Amino acid sequence: MSRLHRFFRTPEAIAGALILALLVAMALAAPLLFPGDPQAIAGPALLPPFQDWSLPLGTDRLGRDVLAELFHGARTSLAVGLAAAAAALLIGAAVGTLAGFASGLLDEVLMRVTDAFQTVPSFLLALAFVSIVGPSLGVVVAAIALSAWTGPARVARAEVLSIRERDYVAGARIIGMHPLEIAFREVLPNALPPVLALSSVIVAAAILTEAALSFLGLGDPNRVTWGGMIAEGRTVLRTAPFLSIVPGVALVLTVLGVYLAGEGVVESTAVRRSLS
Amino acid sequence: MSELTISRRGLLAGSALLLASTALPTIGFAQTPKKGGRLIVAADSEPRNLNPAIVASNGVFFISSKIVETLAEASSDGKDGLEPRLALSWEGAADGLSVTFKLREGVKWHDGKPFTSADVAFSALQIWKPLQNLGRTVFKDLAAVDTPDELTAIFKFAKPTPFQLIRNALPALSSVVPKHVYAVGKIEDNPANNAPVGTGPFKFAEYKAGQYYRLTKNDAYWGKDEPYLDEIVYQVLPDRTSAAAALEAEEIQLAAFSAVPLADLDRISKVPGLKVITKGYEGLTYQLVVEINHRRKELADLKVRQAIAHAIDKDFVVKTVFLGYAATATGPVPKNDPQFYTADVPTYAFDVAKANALLDEAGYKRADDGKRFALKLLPAPYFNETKQFGDYLRQALAAIGIDAEIVNNDSAAHIKAVYTDHAFDLAVGPPVFRGDPAISTTILVQSGIPDGVPFSNQGGYKNAELDALIAKASETLDTSARTELYKEFQKKVAADLPLINVAEWSFISVARDTVGNIANNPRWAVSNWADTYLES
Amino acid sequence: MTRALTLIRRRLVGSVFVLLIVIIGSFLLLEAAPGDAVDAYIVSTGGDAGMIELLRHRWGLDQSELTRLANYLWALLHLDLGQSITFSRPIREIILERLPTTLILMGSATALSFGLGSALGIYAGAKPGSFRDRVLSIGSLALYAVPGFWLGLVLIVVFAVDLRWLPIGGIETIASGKTGLARAADIATHLVLPVAALGFIYLALYLRMMRAGMAEAWRQDFVLAARARGLTRRRIVLAHVARNALLPLVTMLGLQSAQMLGGSVVIESVFAVPGLGRLAQEAVAGRDTPLLLGIILASAFLVIVINLLVDLAYAFLDPRVGASEANA
Repeated sequence: MSRLHRFFRTPEAIAGALILALLVAMALAAPLLFPGDPQAIAGPALLPPFQDWSLPLGTDRLGRDVLAELFHGARTSLAVGLAAAAAALLIGAAVGTLAGFASGLLDEVLMRVTDAFQTVPSFLLALAFVSIVGPSLGVVVAAIALSAWTGPARVARAEVLSIRERDYVAGARIIGMHPLEIAFREVLPNALPPVLALSSVIVAAAILTEAALSFLGLGDPNRVTWGGMIAEGRTVLRTAPFLSIVPGVALVLTVLGVYLAGEGVVESTAVRRSLS
Repeated sequence: MSELTISRRGLLAGSALLLASTALPTIGFAQTPKKGGRLIVAADSEPRNLNPAIVASNGVFFISSKIVETLAEASSDGKDGLEPRLALSWEGAADGLSVTFKLREGVKWHDGKPFTSADVAFSALQIWKPLQNLGRTVFKDLAAVDTPDELTAIFKFAKPTPFQLIRNALPALSSVVPKHVYAVGKIEDNPANNAPVGTGPFKFAEYKAGQYYRLTKNDAYWGKDEPYLDEIVYQVLPDRTSAAAALEAEEIQLAAFSAVPLADLDRISKVPGLKVITKGYEGLTYQLVVEINHRRKELADLKVRQAIAHAIDKDFVVKTVFLGYAATATGPVPKNDPQFYTADVPTYAFDVAKANALLDEAGYKRADDGKRFALKLLPAPYFNETKQFGDYLRQALAAIGIDAEIVNNDSAAHIKAVYTDHAFDLAVGPPVFRGDPAISTTILVQSGIPDGVPFSNQGGYKNAELDALIAKASETLDTSARTELYKEFQKKVAADLPLINVAEWSFISVARDTVGNIANNPRWAVSNWADTYLES
Repeated sequence: MTRALTLIRRRLVGSVFVLLIVIIGSFLLLEAAPGDAVDAYIVSTGGDAGMIELLRHRWGLDQSELTRLANYLWALLHLDLGQSITFSRPIREIILERLPTTLILMGSATALSFGLGSALGIYAGAKPGSFRDRVLSIGSLALYAVPGFWLGLVLIVVFAVDLRWLPIGGIETIASGKTGLARAADIATHLVLPVAALGFIYLALYLRMMRAGMAEAWRQDFVLAARARGLTRRRIVLAHVARNALLPLVTMLGLQSAQMLGGSVVIESVFAVPGLGRLAQEAVAGRDTPLLLGIILASAFLVIVINLLVDLAYAFLDPRVGASEANA
């Protein structure tokens, strides 16, 4: 059975993949379907959905096209999620590999730093970081990565600890490879799969964290994000519920899609591993 | 300067707009007030220092004005817009060197001690002048307060000080605190700053951080039959949407200072048992202002500033950002001010073509991508409306080829960026108009203010002519001559555009039908509520 | 028992370093912030240059960063958390006032998500791949994907405003004068909505972990053996499969304790609950460095204690743990 086949065994994985494909399509199509600034004022304020077919999902408090914002929001939400997850995995894998491979004092120091980050509530850290550096998309990504790298670091270290005693690592030592080279060329690639398995969780958490930060007024005002749309819509939750429901549904579907697809990948590799 | 603690969202209308509102003013109903009851009010922030003599801000007054009284309160029908509180009369000398206050007899502090002129002298000299955020300016030349008898206080000034200014400052700046409570130890560390003692209709009872403040009736209050209420409780509701929900769920009876978002007012006005009131804030007008950093060479060019003024559709702002609960502005004094406002100033109609032409003329041609130059725009974060106007302004500027990037800061970072670091090109600010240009709008224009002074001219604007005008007005004693000078000031500001005034707004209250005597003076939310009552 | 003591000792020594890193890191972060406590304060008052200078001096903000950090650490050595700038009260007092509220909120929400999550997880995992398994997994995931603040706002509109079954917010009826059982009942009704909003989000976590653990356990030898012995399915599910799947959940409980405090920042703000999360947000907004440090310290301490308890519980439940502790 090919890996793709195994992935598509469960309806959940198929649904997840479909949602993600749709999301990516939205993100790619946004500048084509809705050229120009999605935050431009396009019509009367607070137009309900399905009233005017040039503005199918209506308009927000300032008269901006909700559909255009939804499409452009897909771009930013996806970008935030992927960038934050990539950064968190990168930092985590590097720290974990170093700690696991070096052992001794460096390990101790790195793990205590990891502990320190894990002891502080990650959302609080992100909140403080963004209020202090100032909200822009890059800072939001950095803040999320900063609060999410500890999980990958721990997993990577545990994997490295189990791998470094294996024969091929001992072999590399004997032929005189530099320890750092061994760590990053021999050990890390083999320790990566379980670390990568965390990525769907981190992507989903990143999208949600961005939304919560926007809720507290710490989003990037120059970009449309779904979190920002929900946050803006909540002051008119009773008067114009669609303003928070539309991006809210998109957000829920996306997080669900990321999760389900991620699980499909993990399961298909898990089956492969247990077979081998 | 601005008084913003009270609420991050702002709203509503100067008296000019009352017709547009859905409110039915409650005054004028011939109803006999009932005695007793607990009024529960929404509070969205918790002032740390409740002493209004030190911190003269609406956030503090909202709670403390019921406990600590001023010499006089604003009034819609009284002489000079005032009515007596602790002072019965006030008289300024012709030379501008003294003001005589006759004080109310038989007033007692909440601890039973009598109120006398010594308390007024102590408050003025030891607190207002050296410690109070606004008093430090208005009373800077106060040299002494003579107390020939227990009911007379004579303020002596070292330099002539316009009586009109002192009068206009009375409602906000003249909170009197008891000398015997504050005489011991450092005034700033006095426990009474957190549990104030005053002469007002209500006594401070308790404060539960994060939950509520509770005030109880002062049985020995000087006002006949007053107060009507037994208790006032301020329930802390930090989230923007919770005041409306709490009103609907009948957990609170009043949400002042636009605690209910503007966008929700239309819906909530239709909820049975609730009323939307747009009156009672005439003396608390906020101005929506585009602050300009004149250090930027493009913005130092008058043509560019004029172009920006022409690019802003003020009617759209009033209609969409403020949902009609505001008025368009013409200059640095709001239209609803009865003493100083003049409509005779240069105006800037919404005209994108003209704005574009002005920019072309100034030499800032559009590049191939349609953009002329880029700007950093910092909307103040304290109000929903300032942020929304920031979003609008970015679009309005895009239409004339100016690429504005919004920088979103929290309050502390915004204050630092704009008023200390000058790290902005344009900022959106909500300064408050305090009934006299000398203690409000002039500071936004005048030069020579040290870095770091908030809500002042930190845009590097310098105009010797305007500076001279402001200096002259501050020492002109004759009321009508002084008023004329400020009219001249408005014309010059509107012509040279050191900043752009876009709109003027004030707040809205939402209350249950059972609350009576709401909004019966121009500073109602921050007045003493002695006559407020609950029907059942 | 000695194993437990070794564990405690190791943890305490490690914790001192962890706390030190946390304090210095947070201090440096806050120092890097644009604007200080005075900037945050004058937003609501305005004031001239002289007043601003006066305030900076009064609050000790005119000293150098290093001096302030040294002063703070020195006071901390004497177990003194210092004075809050914005509240002008001792920080220990403020935190102790808010801590119980947050503990009740977090404790109840954890109990809800852990209890209901693992129960539903057992129900779902009893028949892996069944219809109910899929519905429960996806349903709980959907809840997880809803932003907490939005769930909170909708709960308020439905249950507090429209149905009027529950209060809209706060921790108890204000100035009610209730005591004893009546007060406990009052607090309980106020907690229903915030606990639901916070707990439902984390429900998915425990449900899915339990379910995954059970799916794994079904394949294990001892379950096959139990089946061979002819035990009822119910018995196998509860006594063998679920029991084994529960262990990782206990670890998760420890890991989640820090996260829930973060989640409660938003929930406490929506429901006007006077807890530590909201206080932390106010401390950041007010640039009240000592207060924020105190809160972070308190929550770090809490997290360390909870994790220690979890590890101890684990050590008693699973004898293999003591050995691997050396690697943690």
